[in-house]
Amino acid sequence: MNNVLAIAHKELRSYFASPIAYIVIGFFALLFGWFYIGILDWFVRQGMQMGPMGMGQSNMNVNQQMVRPLLLNMTVVFLFLLPLITMRTYAEEKRSGTIELLLTSPLTDVEIVAGKFLGAMGLYAAMLAVSLLHFGLLFAFGTPEWKPLVTAYLGLLLFGGCFISVGLFISSLTKNQIVAGAATFGVFLLLWVIDWIGQGMGPRAEAVLKYLSMTEHLDDFVKGVIDTKHLVYYLSFITFGLFLTVKSVDSERWRG
Amino acid sequence: MIEVEHLTKRYGPVTAVQDVSFQVHKGEILGFLGPNGAGKTTTMRVLTGYMPATDGRVVVAGHDVFEQPVEAKRRIGYLPETPPLYPDMTVREYLQFVAKIKGVPSGDRKSRVEQVMVRTWVADMAGRACGKLSKGYRQRVGLAQALIHNPDVLILDEPTAGLDPKQIIETRRLIKELAGDHTIILSTHILPEVSQTCDRVVIINKGRVVAVDTPHNLMGRLRGAETMFVQVDGARASEAAAALAKVPGVVRVAPADNAATGAFEVESEKGRDVRRELAKAVVLGGHDLLELRPTRVSLEDIFLSLTTEEQPEEAAS
Repeated sequence: MNNVLAIAHKELRSYFASPIAYIVIGFFALLFGWFYIGILDWFVRQGMQMGPMGMGQSNMNVNQQMVRPLLLNMTVVFLFLLPLITMRTYAEEKRSGTIELLLTSPLTDVEIVAGKFLGAMGLYAAMLAVSLLHFGLLFAFGTPEWKPLVTAYLGLLLFGGCFISVGLFISSLTKNQIVAGAATFGVFLLLWVIDWIGQGMGPRAEAVLKYLSMTEHLDDFVKGVIDTKHLVYYLSFITFGLFLTVKSVDSERWRG
Repeated sequence: MIEVEHLTKRYGPVTAVQDVSFQVHKGEILGFLGPNGAGKTTTMRVLTGYMPATDGRVVVAGHDVFEQPVEAKRRIGYLPETPPLYPDMTVREYLQFVAKIKGVPSGDRKSRVEQVMVRTWVADMAGRACGKLSKGYRQRVGLAQALIHNPDVLILDEPTAGLDPKQIIETRRLIKELAGDHTIILSTHILPEVSQTCDRVVIINKGRVVAVDTPHNLMGRLRGAETMFVQVDGARASEAAAALAKVPGVVRVAPADNAATGAFEVESEKGRDVRRELAKAVVLGGHDLLELRPTRVSLEDIFLSLTTEEQPEEAAS
């Protein structure tokens, strides 16, 4: 475990020593703020319209009508930002030769992969933490429920974890960061739209594609529901991505 | 301390290293000598557990590198061809990180890092980012990194590459100092380095071991005999050659390469000094002796003759 943390710490440090962390977090903050203002504005106007119409404000729910669409929209932003986090993880070590240090140290492949995963998750979590600031404002001036917010962030962490595990795998396949980044983005996009073509393919195919879709599983978390089905989906997805990464690093050794 | 048995490494159809076997004893410095592309780096990468062998066995400090990789790696310090530095870390941060992943106990880490930095003369750069170091400093930080966990075995891939002459001398001295406590394999294509620092030499070419011996023995071993250069006045050269051949202890007399008539290479049995008899034979035969000297074979010659054997044989015949 100490080894895993040592690698994770090193990864985090290198994110923050380079512009990557600042660019990712900075743009996330900007975009999140933008979305936040947009939805808040819509929500407030909606409330003002409903008030005089006698429907009362009791039907308005901050969690359902503001937090939920906001967070679901933000997942599009992750699509663009997460490849920036994962693309260098292995590609850079291979290019600069530092992979030789890691692979000749008394570490197992699993420890290295887990460390890199945790490091990337750390940066992702730091990015998400920025958005908590905005929700803090909601609590200061309104009365949202905190429980669905907690499950929503759990869902987002798992959702990002899936992307990060895939990104790690793709980064482990190449020496070139740009190639890794572009391929990762392509795969993320595919995972994103995977259920879009389901409707024309019959009910069974539709169900399968829907199950594979990443966002499909996020909705319940954001609503405040922790369903084992979704937990299993995300955790097995992450495990599979990390497993592929370990195998890829191992096979790289054999190929030399 | 290190046993390599029948090591073979293939990359697809290309055989990089074939059937390499050698042993290194505790406290010894073994030089790994060969031209570029001979398989030095591949062999070292297999020894350090960076890549598995296609066939064969490597045991380091009692642990099989393939079967107990973590245990073996704990006992190996490795300086790859390019020092594996993280450009955005300072030297001190970098060494602390390496100490951590190499398993140096957290209490000892700080003092160990400082100690190693002093030993490899990088202490004055401790706060500098690795990416901003000169080639010489990079190489030395690489060396520091290999030493950090005080390993039993040090594997150094071209440790003096890119250093200036003063640094080369210092580095060689450091390697010699380290030899008592550590077992060292170093690769190089610089010959003087081998004769100055190594106890034994493995010469490798095209993935095969061509010779394993001490630098001293290799000097005398080229033909398994002592060779003398003899030149007489050219007039009756063949008669002189016959007279030389009759001297007891002489194995072979042949015209010397690239020399005037009357110049011979005289090979004698190993360890037998025939200079006096040769001189006497020449003079008593009525020839004028112009020159008589032992031809010392430098390691360079051995190296060249060992590694360029294949083409000249065809060309000569």
